[in-house]
Amino acid sequence: MATEVILPKVDMDMESGLVSAWHIAAGSPVSKGDALFDIETDKAAMEIEAPASGILAHIIAPEGTKVPVGNAVAWIYAEGEAIPEAAPGGGATEAPKAEPAPATAQAPGKCGTVASQPALTEAASRAEAPEALDEPRPRATPAARAAARQAGLDLARLVGSGPQGRIQSEDVAREIEARQRPAPAAPAAPEPAARRSDPEPLAAPAGWSERPGDLAVTRRKGQGSGTPIVLVHGFAADATGWAPLEKALGNAREIIRVDLACHGRSPLKKIENFAGLARLAVQAFDGLNLEAAHLVGHSLGGAIATTIADIRPRLIRSLGLIAPAGLGPEIDGDTLMGIARASRAESLAPWLKRLAADPDAISWDFAQAAMLSRMDEEMRAAQRDLAERLFPDGTQGFDLTGALGRVEAPLRVIWGRQDAILPWRHALRAPDHAGLHLLDKAGHIPHIERPEACAKVLRDLFGVAEAASRG
Amino acid sequence: MNAPTRNPEIQTRELSYAEAIREAMGMALARDERVILMGEDIGVYGGAFQVTGDLVERFGPDRVRDTPISELGGAGVAVGAALTGLRPIFEFQFSDFATLAMEQIVNQAAKMRYMLGGEASVPLVFRMPAGSGTGAAAQHSQSFEAWFGHVPGLKVLQPSTPEDAKGLLLAALEDPDPVVVFEHKLLYKLKGHVPDGWYTTPIGKAAVRREGRDLTIVASAIMVHRALAAAEKLAEEGIDVEVIDLRSVRPIDHETIIASVRKTGRLICVYEGVRTLGIGAEISAMIAESEAFDYLDAPILRLGGVEAPIPYNPELEKAAVPQAPDIEAAARKLARKEV
Repeated sequence: MATEVILPKVDMDMESGLVSAWHIAAGSPVSKGDALFDIETDKAAMEIEAPASGILAHIIAPEGTKVPVGNAVAWIYAEGEAIPEAAPGGGATEAPKAEPAPATAQAPGKCGTVASQPALTEAASRAEAPEALDEPRPRATPAARAAARQAGLDLARLVGSGPQGRIQSEDVAREIEARQRPAPAAPAAPEPAARRSDPEPLAAPAGWSERPGDLAVTRRKGQGSGTPIVLVHGFAADATGWAPLEKALGNAREIIRVDLACHGRSPLKKIENFAGLARLAVQAFDGLNLEAAHLVGHSLGGAIATTIADIRPRLIRSLGLIAPAGLGPEIDGDTLMGIARASRAESLAPWLKRLAADPDAISWDFAQAAMLSRMDEEMRAAQRDLAERLFPDGTQGFDLTGALGRVEAPLRVIWGRQDAILPWRHALRAPDHAGLHLLDKAGHIPHIERPEACAKVLRDLFGVAEAASRG
Repeated sequence: MNAPTRNPEIQTRELSYAEAIREAMGMALARDERVILMGEDIGVYGGAFQVTGDLVERFGPDRVRDTPISELGGAGVAVGAALTGLRPIFEFQFSDFATLAMEQIVNQAAKMRYMLGGEASVPLVFRMPAGSGTGAAAQHSQSFEAWFGHVPGLKVLQPSTPEDAKGLLLAALEDPDPVVVFEHKLLYKLKGHVPDGWYTTPIGKAAVRREGRDLTIVASAIMVHRALAAAEKLAEEGIDVEVIDLRSVRPIDHETIIASVRKTGRLICVYEGVRTLGIGAEISAMIAESEAFDYLDAPILRLGGVEAPIPYNPELEKAAVPQAPDIEAAARKLARKEV
């Protein structure tokens, strides 16, 4: 009996994954548990194990192929079992929706193992993996295609600035320039060099372009020309945590995400106190040269956003705070340190479950994927150090009540009623004109647990703010 | 126009487009006795648009021959005269009436050299007043360049300046095969510097009338002037337009257009003939097939005549073919990457 090898869901909001490398060639024997292939999502690269022992055949998702979650990527036949010409499942008509991505910019090292795949495999994959209609190849001009081809760039990773998101040559030029700029330096700490000179730094995820600057900033152009949204994540999170909210907000506006220092793709820095962390974020915000922005922050990022709004009041059209820090002394310091300490999914998962109103929402896969983006011990150490400085003895060591009181822009505070990390009653310290939205069935991460509800509040806020600024 | 390329040692005078054509014909009549002019009312009347003017007085009715009101008959005689050793220049009153003479132009003049294995040739020039803008309505305002451009064996020219009107007509006369020259009626009064003496403008060679970085406009005849006017306006907005004067519809100067599109990555074709299956279609396809394809950074645009006969109403007549503001708007959109 042939075993179907499917693309697993390793991420809560994952819809598809890129098969980035095969470790076993078609026709070769494989044992259950062997590393079979690698996938990449927006968040991480991950090794997938063989679900059965036998002979690997019918690789219908060759390297560089984007495959929807749950679709077959290959088959494993039991030793001695006859291998049919075509993959089971009726061939082309029921072929999985696998889309060969154009010339991907994969690391050569990763692809090495399968460079000599038998020709048969390729033929089979062509015959049985028709291009999925729902994910057409990127819209790009001939000039952009030629430039990308020459530079070895994957167009699927670019954001087009032309009509209907068409990628034009200038978009490719910008990407090439961004790649050529030196990796962000980490002036203070001696150790980060090792981390930032990884042989294969994660490229900006599909649909996001990267901007030069001290902190990692990623932005995605919107269809419309509305005021952009700037998102600031919380402690031990990173820009990818916004994915559910981004989806709920739609792509009408440009979205700009900042990775805080010692987080995500930003450099590791020696941070003395909250002001030091905020200063870097303000610099990153200034570097965006925006004429106006809607600022949204979660938890520690809420405190940072409040600081930016306080310092740059004329640029801020509205401030949206999701379970913001800095409005009271209480905080679940154990969870913060637990997350920052965890070196494997087993120790991370229990703490992550404390973030959500429904612990079951944090699946094992979710914890594993979260751990994959936290594999860097130096980053974890930097975050532990940061936690000790910002939240000494499990107490919020900074108070932004005064700063928030000075914010005159339209202001909404969103809090989960079941928040176990920061008590929602801190919201009562917001100024008169703040609107408060207490979401049921939400813990400390309402933007992940209830993204639609958060998006609705924020969209209302943006509308009110823009009407006010016009009036 | 064309000032930067003019050789200061060559004497020029200001002549109108019509005067430049007349000068060319007069020089040809004086220099080569095989040259004759034929056409309806080109003698005493001086031509429907007064292009032949006083030539009948200078060269006599034998060499400046009025023909009866039969385009087919007149064109047939001209083909026969060319086949038997003369160098006729045949004028149609309006290019629209050339439809009556298609048999002679397409089936006879264009085919003879091929069908007789190169034993014979038809050195004949057809002059065709063309285009809209004179209030002459549907049967007197058409632009048939693409029609004739579709016929192997013909060469098809569209001068846009007095200098080229003379130079291309003399080049057509020197050519051993039939050449159709479309003269835009609105250009007859256009003045410009015209060199003295005998000179030819090469057939099949476009002219870059304005250099620019941001996009290329390929235009012909009066559209060259409209494109230049649009380019001037756009320059104030910082949009740098290159304008190419096609000059020759058949053969088309691939090299110049390809080089320009490789530079700018954006192309608009502007022509007065009906947009569909027109000159712009040919240029667009030529670019798509060329090495310039990989340099295209936006779709190619075509501005051409509407899919209707030219109306009599003057406002509708203007609206039926590209005007400078139309070109300006299209180029602005293309330059701003809104296309």
